[in-house]
Amino acid sequence: MGSDVIVVIVVATALTFDFTNGFHDTANVVATSISTRAMAPRIAVGYAAILNFVGAFISLEVAATIANDVVDPAAVGLIAVFAGLVGAIAWNLITWYFGLPSSSSHALIGGMVGAVFAAEGAGAIDFEDGILGKVVVPGVVAPVLAFVVGGVAIVLLYRIVGRLRPGPVTSGFRFGQVISGGLLALAHGTNDAQKTMGVITLALVANGTISQNDFHVPDWVVVSSATAIALGTYVGGWRIIKTMGSRIHKMDSAQGFAAQGAGAAVILAASKVGFPLSTTQTISGAVIGSGAAKRLSAVRWGVAGNILVAWVLTLPAAACIGALTFGITRVFGTGAAGPVIVSALILAGAAFLFVRRAQGRAPAVSGAAGVSS
Amino acid sequence: MIASVVDTELLVEVVWVSLVAGIGVTAAFGFALLGATRALELGRDGRVGEATLFGVLGAVAMAAVVAAIVFGIVVLVNK
Repeated sequence: MGSDVIVVIVVATALTFDFTNGFHDTANVVATSISTRAMAPRIAVGYAAILNFVGAFISLEVAATIANDVVDPAAVGLIAVFAGLVGAIAWNLITWYFGLPSSSSHALIGGMVGAVFAAEGAGAIDFEDGILGKVVVPGVVAPVLAFVVGGVAIVLLYRIVGRLRPGPVTSGFRFGQVISGGLLALAHGTNDAQKTMGVITLALVANGTISQNDFHVPDWVVVSSATAIALGTYVGGWRIIKTMGSRIHKMDSAQGFAAQGAGAAVILAASKVGFPLSTTQTISGAVIGSGAAKRLSAVRWGVAGNILVAWVLTLPAAACIGALTFGITRVFGTGAAGPVIVSALILAGAAFLFVRRAQGRAPAVSGAAGVSS
Repeated sequence: MIASVVDTELLVEVVWVSLVAGIGVTAAFGFALLGATRALELGRDGRVGEATLFGVLGAVAMAAVVAAIVFGIVVLVNK
């Protein structure tokens, strides 16, 4: 009975994380379409929400990686999964409050690793093949690859259409952005919703609901994760949209098209083989690449630098919070009391930060804004 | 050490698929735009032969874009 209550809390926490993931990442998906006026904001956000939902059904490779390859599912307890999720949510809230760019994906993986490390020790974590091989190296390669693809694509596009009259070309690329933006939303739903599916499945294995030998992601987990990320996307994060759409560099419609196409290609290719990428960092790489290829000075390198710093910080910071949360939760024993109290604390903390932010009392970090994946 | 823990085959697959899909589809769309725009302009000038050639270029390029997207999604779904 006690463990069932914890499972319910873990699933609710995971879906909350998924919602905030969609909320944050709306910017990644729609910002370029909005900033180049390819789509009206509300239409772009609704379109992205629908395709995020659809994308979540495309593949389960990333979910399998999260559930099986990063930590040992046989050694993980429910409270560790809960603590990992709280670590990720807390880090997302902190970075959102201070306006720091961060990756929800890395926060989630960092939180899980920290909590499992505190619970079971280093033996339960696959540092080499799992963390290094499936998270860190692909996580470093993806934004660089997106940068290159975005840069080469925009150079080619300018060569192909450079002598045409700007009017029809701009209209054409705006139409193209409807396609590339849709693909990006699909890619985002595919890679990011699966991370939540993986964590919920991990909790179900830990609870004994699913046998480790019969690993599968239940349909209700797929549907609920898809719904949560789509709802989060629809609600949207308008402040972050502004940052992604115009603060890195002012884009024309060709650059928006190239950046979205590059981001979608990298994320979909990685999803196919089960690499859980940071979609934010991948899309940021593509946006910066499409700007730098036109003119290096067009890119606001301070913003790009902040994204890089957050990239390095997020995994260890979320891991520390995950480990700390596990310690605090275990003070109340192994029953449902710990997760209930910690959930209440995190809700109170979130409400406090939202009120402070709404009152305009949050400190701003120069040149940065909270973006995540 | 990195090579021993990373599945290089998968990583290389991600790299080449991203390059081909990202750059190829974008360039194909550029050719579709070039074909359509030039076909309209040349058609207005009465240069029917050239307009037809550019029209075919645009149509073939657009068909390639659509085919690449459909193929990509089918590969993902059937994994």
